[in-house]
Amino acid sequence: MTATYVYGLVAAGTTLPDDLVGLGPSGRVSLVEHDGVAAIVGDVPDRPLGTRDDLTAHEAVVDTVAAATTVLPMRFPAVVEDSQVVDELLAPHQDRFLRALEQLDGMVQYSLKGRYVEEVLLKEIVEEEPAVAELQERIRGVSEDASYYDRVKLGEIVAKAMEERRDVDANDILDRISPFAEQASPTTPPQPDEVVDIAFLVRRDGVEQFESEVEELGADTHEWLRLRLLGPLAPYDFVPAEE
Amino acid sequence: MTVATQAAGGGHVDRGGGGGSSGLADVVELILDKGLVIDVFVRVSLVGIEILTIDARVVVASVDTFLRFAEATNRLDLYGKGKGGKDLTELTQGMMEGGAKGKTAGVLDAAVDKVGELLGGDEEDEREPVRKRPRQRARERERER
Repeated sequence: MTATYVYGLVAAGTTLPDDLVGLGPSGRVSLVEHDGVAAIVGDVPDRPLGTRDDLTAHEAVVDTVAAATTVLPMRFPAVVEDSQVVDELLAPHQDRFLRALEQLDGMVQYSLKGRYVEEVLLKEIVEEEPAVAELQERIRGVSEDASYYDRVKLGEIVAKAMEERRDVDANDILDRISPFAEQASPTTPPQPDEVVDIAFLVRRDGVEQFESEVEELGADTHEWLRLRLLGPLAPYDFVPAEE
Repeated sequence: MTVATQAAGGGHVDRGGGGGSSGLADVVELILDKGLVIDVFVRVSLVGIEILTIDARVVVASVDTFLRFAEATNRLDLYGKGKGGKDLTELTQGMMEGGAKGKTAGVLDAAVDKVGELLGGDEEDEREPVRKRPRQRARERERER
């Protein structure tokens, strides 16, 4: 059997950009169309997948296409047998794929991530949490080993204080930017000093305004918040779940 | 891997992503956690190591995190509470010079606030908050309109 790599799905009739480079040995990327839906496909290397280059190539193909047209992105690694692209992938799911493409038509995703400027936030916490100053007093001048538990306790209080502030700030950011997006999908980041990780679904014709709102938010908060905006991307967070 | 770069317009938001310009961690988060999974996908052998390195992001607040915050907090205390740090003149000067690059207005005020803060000023209530929350800002703008 030979295998085919599937990057994502687009509406039939889409023209792919010329500069796509796939993760296969040929690097070629092309379309297989069937009844209104097309799979973005390429060849598969004869080795285990998952290198940095493989991951980057998958994302680059998907998001380069997404810059111009709606793509349903596949999860890495998406490999099917050659003979099955139409018979097993496109034909049986045609309805679902078409509906999803229609639903996301004219939209792109942006991912907004934010992290506290540690020093500013810590200063605020030290000022506002009396327990922190007390522990600092106890730790001062004590050896690392002897102060171990106090230091863990101190860090725990700081982390908790951060999380409390984060909940408020994350909500504020969501409230402020959501009006400029069709949908928002927030997730709670793993580290307490990470404030937000929100995926926004944005209309292509609203992209400029969305970006400038985020930029304005960045200008207002840059003293205590580092914002990072990824996009435009394929709507990774908004692909409809399997029915 | 390309590191997210600062927006060309001298903006305050780091920009990245879209067509291969994201960092590896961002890429992994997008394409390994999200996207369509179809039952016809065949199992393929994967390289483990490259993917494993990313599992660091799953680590939730741990003792290591706590110790890191404790250390950062204590470091802050060393020069934050006037123990052997810069003296006031130095600090004010530094701030003026640093501020000169940006907006000139407000720099003096900022420096004064800063000095008050360092002195542990007694006008606890009048002092500007350390930072403004986005919503607070939004409300202020509404009022200005």
